[in-house]
Amino acid sequence: MPVYEKGPVQIHYQEAGSGFPLLVIPGGGLNGTIANLSEGCPFNPLDVLSDEFRCITLDQRNAKGGQSAGPLEVDRPWDSYTDDHLGLMDYLGIDKFLVLGFCIGGPFSWNLIKRAPDRVLAAVLAQPSGFRPELPNNFYNNNMKGWGPALCERRSDVTMETVAAFLKSMYTDRADFVFTVTRDFVRNCRTPVLILPDDVPGHPYAVAMEAAMLAPNAQVSLYPWKDTERRLTVALRHIRMFLGANRPV
Amino acid sequence: MPSYEKGPVSIHYEEAGSGFPLLVIPGGGLNATIGYLSNRVPFNPMEELSDEYRCITMDLRNADGGQSSGPVEVDRPWDAYTDDQLGLMDHLGIDKFLVLGFCIGGPFIWNMLKRAPGRVIAAVPAQPSGFRPELPDLFYQNNMKGWAQALCARRRDVTMEMCGAFLKKMYGANPDFVFSVTRDFVRGCKTPVLVMPDDTPPHPYAVAEESALLAPNAQMTFFPWKEDKARVPLAVRHLRSFLRANTPA
Repeated sequence: MPVYEKGPVQIHYQEAGSGFPLLVIPGGGLNGTIANLSEGCPFNPLDVLSDEFRCITLDQRNAKGGQSAGPLEVDRPWDSYTDDHLGLMDYLGIDKFLVLGFCIGGPFSWNLIKRAPDRVLAAVLAQPSGFRPELPNNFYNNNMKGWGPALCERRSDVTMETVAAFLKSMYTDRADFVFTVTRDFVRNCRTPVLILPDDVPGHPYAVAMEAAMLAPNAQVSLYPWKDTERRLTVALRHIRMFLGANRPV
Repeated sequence: MPSYEKGPVSIHYEEAGSGFPLLVIPGGGLNATIGYLSNRVPFNPMEELSDEYRCITMDLRNADGGQSSGPVEVDRPWDAYTDDQLGLMDHLGIDKFLVLGFCIGGPFIWNMLKRAPGRVIAAVPAQPSGFRPELPDLFYQNNMKGWAQALCARRRDVTMEMCGAFLKKMYGANPDFVFSVTRDFVRGCKTPVLVMPDDTPPHPYAVAEESALLAPNAQMTFFPWKEDKARVPLAVRHLRSFLRANTPA
């Protein structure tokens, strides 16, 4: 698996297919890895979309089970990941691209659109993460258990105090909506987005629908879409059409 | 309003916009008229889509409140209406077209796909009618009251007995699924279809979804999409993408 390096950051990535570039962000929260696309996501875009697109995916920086690493940037948690996403595209010589992100890929996609509105031509947010008022500490608690300890174990430069500060900055201090951008940003965002809602604690349906209804060029898929193979097939047709419609001719 | 005549059939129709032809079938069951598009359907395609398409719509033959008329063809109820729809396209010199139909437009569309698979490029059944086992006589009863009586009052050649036989053939001969075609037909139908489901007594969600899951090139919008007016534009964006994706270059 090839590696992109920038200073202290090392990002393992993978490519499949050819055509217009499609950045695929795996699900799995901060433990989002390439392997999750085969194991934890409803479908693997590298298998099903590589016939039409140049699919590029990566292990998230510091994900458990992945091979990417980098500093824990407490003051800019979301932006540090977005640096990796945009940096990888730069490294591959890609200017404009499409994005498809699962789970945490929802907030990442919005941040990518904010940071690089002219480069992201369209985005697909599948089972996107969002804030759920009745579970305000969901992401903090989950990651303090499922991500922080394993990271501290393999990295002597990272402590649980740093992890806690990072997660507080990432989730607690931005405890609303999609974490990375405001409703006003979404309301004014002209980038076409296709949202495939979910409704588990980490992926609130209400936030997915609110984002879809606010964004002026949004579409939303059927729901539920991933509980059976046949519904998934129908949703994939929508994704394929949406991506096809938004790539340059 | 112009009219198309063929033998004893007279069909009043209306056009709006220019571009690739889009046949719009109004809702309202057997009383479907152009007037329904302005005040009884979730959006009016003649207004919404005439910026990109040559939209053509018509009063259904013998609809109450409309200006189209023709024989009550007891032996071939669905085909009689399909004759009018295909005949109007012939009259206008249109070979291939897109079709969007509300309510009864669902069964009409499937019949049209059966009769003219080479002419219908893609189809959108919106809030499509279908059979609901728990209300097996719904369409017969509704139309005996809401359609047949008014028709007999204005047409001396039509009796309630004829209407009863017509409705029995139309809805009672194949009391299942979408009335006009079988599941096997839908399973083998390659024409791209976008289903926009509803869930009222005559528009069962289960049938709409089943047809979307069976048809090999079907998509489906989210649901519910029309009760809250703020959701309608989201569904219309999916519709517009679908039509564009299937409009010949």
